[in-house]
Amino acid sequence: MVSRNGLICWKTLQSGCIRSTNPVNVTISRRLCVSSQICQNNWVQAVSNAEKIVGLPTSFLSLRSEAIDEISNIAVYLKKLIGTGHPLLDTAKNLMYSQDKTNQTRGLLVLLVSKAAKIDQTQDILPKQRTLAEITDLVHAAHLIHTGVINLNTPNESLEMGNKMAVLCGDFLLARSCVLLANLQNLKVVELIAQAISDFSTAEFIDIVANETDSALDRWRYQSKLRYGTLLAHACQSSLILGDNVDLVEFGKYFGLEIALAWQANNEIQSYKNAKEKADHVLFKLFPPGTPFKEVISNFQAVRDTHVDAALQMLGELPKNDASLALCNIARALKY
Amino acid sequence: MVINVKLTNLLAYSSLVVRRVSHLGKHHGDFPYQLLLSKPTPLFHHKKQIQTVVPSTSTKNVTVPVENTPTADSLVRLDLEGLYEDIREGLSETQPELKLIAQYYFNGEGKAIRPVITMCMARAINFHLDQNTPYVLQKQKKIAQIAEMIHTASLVHDDVIDVADSRRSRPSVNIVWGQRKSIIAGDFILAMASKMLARLQNKQVIILLSQVLADLVQGEFMQLGARENKDERFAHYSEKTFKKTASLIAYSCQAVSVLSGADSTLQAVAFQYGRQIGMAFQLVDDLLDFIATSAQLGKPVAADLRLGLATAPVLFAAQKFSELNPLILRRFQEPGDAETAFRLVLRSDGLQRTKDLAHQYCNDAVTQIAQLTPSPYQQALVTLAHQLLHRMK
Repeated sequence: MVSRNGLICWKTLQSGCIRSTNPVNVTISRRLCVSSQICQNNWVQAVSNAEKIVGLPTSFLSLRSEAIDEISNIAVYLKKLIGTGHPLLDTAKNLMYSQDKTNQTRGLLVLLVSKAAKIDQTQDILPKQRTLAEITDLVHAAHLIHTGVINLNTPNESLEMGNKMAVLCGDFLLARSCVLLANLQNLKVVELIAQAISDFSTAEFIDIVANETDSALDRWRYQSKLRYGTLLAHACQSSLILGDNVDLVEFGKYFGLEIALAWQANNEIQSYKNAKEKADHVLFKLFPPGTPFKEVISNFQAVRDTHVDAALQMLGELPKNDASLALCNIARALKY
Repeated sequence: MVINVKLTNLLAYSSLVVRRVSHLGKHHGDFPYQLLLSKPTPLFHHKKQIQTVVPSTSTKNVTVPVENTPTADSLVRLDLEGLYEDIREGLSETQPELKLIAQYYFNGEGKAIRPVITMCMARAINFHLDQNTPYVLQKQKKIAQIAEMIHTASLVHDDVIDVADSRRSRPSVNIVWGQRKSIIAGDFILAMASKMLARLQNKQVIILLSQVLADLVQGEFMQLGARENKDERFAHYSEKTFKKTASLIAYSCQAVSVLSGADSTLQAVAFQYGRQIGMAFQLVDDLLDFIATSAQLGKPVAADLRLGLATAPVLFAAQKFSELNPLILRRFQEPGDAETAFRLVLRSDGLQRTKDLAHQYCNDAVTQIAQLTPSPYQQALVTLAHQLLHRMK
């Protein structure tokens, strides 16, 4: 009964968001949207196949049954945001109902790494590793929601409500992650995930502007590493710590970082292709002024491919099995 | 004249002690730890405590007991020296602007009430257990720091949620840097606190303090809505108060006791003291929101009403004036609601009953702490409960 109620709330929340329209166009340059049809098909195919190997994604599952009060509260307030144009609504919609599978794939990667590392493939992914996969998605969701808080210089009741909900929803997901994390009872893992949170907070304060030592591209790489790389690197590393795969812990760290950078590079390319004002896009700023559109794309594809190749090369360290093959397919799908 | 005032205080204090004794058999609170009072002679300890605290009335120099015993503040001043410097140091290795925002509220202007209680509890428990290991004290100091960091991170987020414009007589973070960066800085403070926590190498302590984070958010959610059923409202308010205010103090107190090597009974004493003090602390705050002047409090009178919050004085008043109920439900949003509620509260016994309840929580806190071996620190924790009540005078 309890979990049924939770599910109902959850569905209300979803349908409330789905029906929403967004009259004010709030652009978030790093909104991750893989919208090119061909690319999406490759990606979705690779991800769907991978899901079959490790089971359904666990993301947000425990929330549905254990945090009914908060979820129903959030559902009620999110509905009130419909029509205000606050980015929280879009973020929530993408997180819970994404068709392009971009937002819950971090957990999936963690599960695949956990599974691929097992010498005995009949062994299941440990419950602790599944919890860690969920934590990874929750922390990432909190990050997306909190970075969607908007600055308001003049009083605006509905957008203030939107900010309030964004703060609370993000805090709720973070607190939930901390409780799950504490119960993993592994001090190193707590420290690694905390570092990831402090890194993506720091990332919001980094400009992508060339300085004496770094090119704009270096700055992009640095910002993306802090923003997305550390979480995935530390999550993969942590899952291998929890699985007691001592020899592969370092692999997890570097593979997580490379795949996160490859993934983010690919997202930037897709969003650049779709951007109406190319000159405002971050990619445009990475290359000398006046670089033609096609050249920007091909230059940045080369950047992406170095990270894909690095990830693929590292995957060679893993035992050959369905999960490691699925990881290769996901990495390759990022190239096309 | 002066002596008169002091006498009144003393009388109030003695009546408090008497009430405390009458309280002993009472079941206090509904938290899972309270039945674990297994010390063989708590009553004896308790009586001894009373005698040491209350000065004989025949003494010529009549003073309030608060002035006679060392305060918690002064006892742990050395322990907490450099508290804010250490926190700022811990938040310094990042981008310059993030560092500024994250350090903004750690300028030493705060009262550091949580670190003071936490360290005093740590010392009192250490004395009780004869725990003298230096690294234990070091770790306990870290808990005091972490508690202040968690508190501050929640202040930063609260300021954005409440659209606040000032705190401690300075513009609030959101005014200076905007909402978005403030929220991210709050997350950063929390992440750094978690890292610090992990380095204490104690799994139980991590579990205790992660519960605080869950409680803080849950409390904030509870604050969003009033209960339809007026009979449930007070319980809802108490639970919200525990989660938003008492939880951090209670679990920090328990955490330092864990580090000291306390068994579950002793941990329960630490937790319960923190819980009762935390509850009383918030009740006094809610009361002062009605009676203190703007200048004293640093925020407008009845600010809670303006935020739509029905605190203890209003909830008690509603028991006498049922016309308050619809106002509570609509969160005092109609024009004139806040003024009407304010007037009705003053006409009811709401303020007195809030005071009484705060007294009761303090008495219970003193009962808890009386179970520890007497020490200056234990004494200071008793004094602290009384000082807290003095804020209401």
